[in-house]
Amino acid sequence: MPPRKDSEGGDRKPMTMQRRDFLRAGLVAAGGVVAGTGATNSLKSGDAVDDAKAPATLTLTADGELVVSSALSDAGTRPTSDEVRRGVPGRRWVMVIDLAACDGCGKCTKACAKSHFVPSDREFIRVFSMEDSSSAAPYWFPRPCFHCDNPPCTRVCPVGATFKRQDGIVLIDNERCIGCRFCMAACPYSVRAFNWSRPDNPPAAVARGYSPEWGYPRRVGTAEKCDFCADMAREGKLPHCAANCPMAAIWFGDENEDAVTNGKGDTVRLSALLRDRAGFRYMEELGTKPRVHYLPADNRRYPAPGEPGANTGHQTRGAVQQ
Amino acid sequence: MSATPLPDFQIETFAPFRASPPAKHTAPDVERDLLATLDPLGSRGRLWIASLLAVCAIAFIAWIYQLRFGLTVTAMRNYVSWGVYMTNFVFFIGISHAGTLISAILRVTDAGWRRPITRMAEAITVIALLIGASSVVIDMGRPDRLLNLIIHGRLQSPILWDLVSVTTYLTGSFLYLYVAMIPDMPMLAQHARDRGRSRRLVRLYELLSLGYRETPAHRRLLARALGAMAVIIIPVAVSVHTVVSWVFGMTLRPGWHSTIFGPYFVVGAIFSGTAGIITAMVVFRRAYHLERYLLPEHFHKLAKILLVLSLLYAYFTLSEYLTAWYGGLESDSRLLGLLVGNTAFGRSFWLWAIFGLFVPIGLLLFPSHRSVRSIMIASVLINVGMWWKRFLIVVPTLETPFIPAQAAGIAPRYFPSLVECLITAGAFAGFLLLFTLFSRLFPILSIWETAEDAEEVKPTVRTDHAFTGAGRARSRVIPATLAIALLGCGVAAAVAPFSAARAQTAQAKAVIELTRTTEDKQEMLVAKVTANGLAVKGATVAFSVKRTFGFMALGEDQTLDDGTAAVAFPTALPGDSKGELTFRVALRSPPELDGSAADVKLAGAPARPWPSVPPRALWSSRVPLAVPVTIGFLVLCVWSTYAFVATQLAALRNLKEEN
Repeated sequence: MPPRKDSEGGDRKPMTMQRRDFLRAGLVAAGGVVAGTGATNSLKSGDAVDDAKAPATLTLTADGELVVSSALSDAGTRPTSDEVRRGVPGRRWVMVIDLAACDGCGKCTKACAKSHFVPSDREFIRVFSMEDSSSAAPYWFPRPCFHCDNPPCTRVCPVGATFKRQDGIVLIDNERCIGCRFCMAACPYSVRAFNWSRPDNPPAAVARGYSPEWGYPRRVGTAEKCDFCADMAREGKLPHCAANCPMAAIWFGDENEDAVTNGKGDTVRLSALLRDRAGFRYMEELGTKPRVHYLPADNRRYPAPGEPGANTGHQTRGAVQQ
Repeated sequence: MSATPLPDFQIETFAPFRASPPAKHTAPDVERDLLATLDPLGSRGRLWIASLLAVCAIAFIAWIYQLRFGLTVTAMRNYVSWGVYMTNFVFFIGISHAGTLISAILRVTDAGWRRPITRMAEAITVIALLIGASSVVIDMGRPDRLLNLIIHGRLQSPILWDLVSVTTYLTGSFLYLYVAMIPDMPMLAQHARDRGRSRRLVRLYELLSLGYRETPAHRRLLARALGAMAVIIIPVAVSVHTVVSWVFGMTLRPGWHSTIFGPYFVVGAIFSGTAGIITAMVVFRRAYHLERYLLPEHFHKLAKILLVLSLLYAYFTLSEYLTAWYGGLESDSRLLGLLVGNTAFGRSFWLWAIFGLFVPIGLLLFPSHRSVRSIMIASVLINVGMWWKRFLIVVPTLETPFIPAQAAGIAPRYFPSLVECLITAGAFAGFLLLFTLFSRLFPILSIWETAEDAEEVKPTVRTDHAFTGAGRARSRVIPATLAIALLGCGVAAAVAPFSAARAQTAQAKAVIELTRTTEDKQEMLVAKVTANGLAVKGATVAFSVKRTFGFMALGEDQTLDDGTAAVAFPTALPGDSKGELTFRVALRSPPELDGSAADVKLAGAPARPWPSVPPRALWSSRVPLAVPVTIGFLVLCVWSTYAFVATQLAALRNLKEEN
């Protein structure tokens, strides 16, 4: 594979002052977390979630050395194009969405849109109001990219711009995509969006520089979609949708570890969760083998769509979209 | 193969049309009349070309505008991501089948009446293919990255199949068109010289003639080249429209994922292609006054073919939608509700069925009512209808995704924008323009073949069945440990499996030792808590195991008088790359020890191996070997036939030097 070039220029700037300042602030914040945790006298499982909020990760080695690691720290830790294509070694990222817990508030969509600078005409995780039959109550159905193990989108890509990594994530290289939109036609879940117009990339998106692991700054005429927050997972942090779900309905983890964690910091055994709650994958009959599992919407902990007090937010959000 | 084109049979079969004047022309007449089509255009002809140029220019400006602002100037959006450009692609590739069927099939079967039609048919193929291929480029979001198809091309993608087969078809139909034009070239050169046309034009004709002369040796070589091309181009044409259909058929979408899509598209292509050639015949007949050569008989014979094809297309359409409707799958039903129900699409579908299918069938069905005019009306209706039918294949499926967009308050709708309409108009104008310009350079009817027809000489073109064989050719990587968050109290200590670890807090100096033991055949995780050298009794110990995104609770236990607490060891839980599990043992009580914790590594279940290379699969970056082997074999068969034709042409050229 030839080295990828930055086709539109200016996106591969070295770390900016702004980012350096951010890192410094992050170090201070992380230090604060160390001090704070040391002082606190209760250690609950799930304190790692505090780590997830720290922009830099501190690792205390056995030798007592403090090791700082962060994707933001310098260009050296930016995954190489080979690492981006291969994924994080030994991992099989997996997501479980608890339909009994989702109340359709749409905070996952908003958090995702904010962190990925998603334009208003698309949603990487979209909350549908589903009703399986007229006799069954409706329920909310958040739909990220399913990162299928047998992905119809990567099959049809003529140039390998969208690809399946060995850690399970399906990504798009917007510097290679030719914009044929075959992947959009092939995806049975209508996950993919297209940069129809010249994108309006905010300065923060431009400053970070492009990688398929976060997909911005955007390129006109190329496809994009939910990326499972590949950069976050690489650092051991939950994706934005899971971390920001107030109902803790979105679980994320590593199938190889047989564990998933939700936004509250609860970590449970994946196999037990799927077994005990009768987990399923959406439209299993399509044979796409999604990496996103659902827990059925039984004994819901929220008003179903259309009932008094139910959320309706997504419907106004979607009204302008096509 | 029999030489004479079955004259008796023809007369009997087409008895109803004998009223029309039979061909009475002689070879010199043919040459004179057909060369006359190259005479300078009148004012109407010039106006025609000028208006086509104007439409093309407007379309070009529209395309520049689209390149400047992106595909947002179209009506395509995230749900309906393909529109009229894709429709144009399918339509023009379909039209391109005219040449193959009429010319190649009739040539192979040695049908004598084909002769005035072949040139036109072959030209349609080349020109329609050029327009169809550019429709795809216009549809691309990043036409500047077109070369990625070659640099990064994946053979698993039907688009690569399209690229290979359309390139092969385009090369083949160029070659086929050209080989069949060679005997006309000396005549054209002479004609251009006589008329005092530019020397460059004369030189072009001479160059293209390869020094062809009416000698048995020349005829033999030409016949072999033409025979080989006529045979090989048929499977190539079938493959082209098959893989075009597979761009849709290989997806899982309702209305596209159909096993009959390949043949359905091939029949549709030949259907619209035949209608296309009849329409072209009508136009050229009138424009160039070719009534003596394009006889009603030609129209009647093509009308029969068109009738068969329209019945075939009706049959395919019926089987495609009736099975979907009868089966009643939810996804199919939703699509059919939009496609044939009481919606804008549904009404237009039935309009197409009536005016694009049943009316033409009615016009073509009764021999007594067939006339050039009725055949022409049927052809135009079919052409318009087949464009719309392709639109109905592309768009409604995209408007009915598996997860209804309506469930998120979105109503996907598509109607082409002004830019799309202008570019579509430009595609049609470009097609007509190229066709017109072609007919200005080369006679639109093959002079030598038509003259042959007139003189009823033994056909020089023989089909060499030696080529039908070719015609059938159709890491374990050592994982880098992730940056692990170990913020909080306690010191991480990596210890050997089954050994103990010590962790102390400055506060209470509790020491926690962790071991894996077997008690009553059950694997247990045992923590021993001591403070200041003494076992702590009655302390609550919380066990958890570290996972990437948090600590997974294993349970709690009270320490016994020996200071030990235990939970079941998570035996099947995979560890890290070394198979190690990091446990966190925290004390919940007594209050003076609360907050003490230790992180300890013990051996767990082995980690899953990390494959060093992805598997060979359709979705993978590594192609299953069957794919390149199959494609390579087919391409080799076809291109070696092209190479054979090229050697015949080279031999033809060398003959000149010998003479």
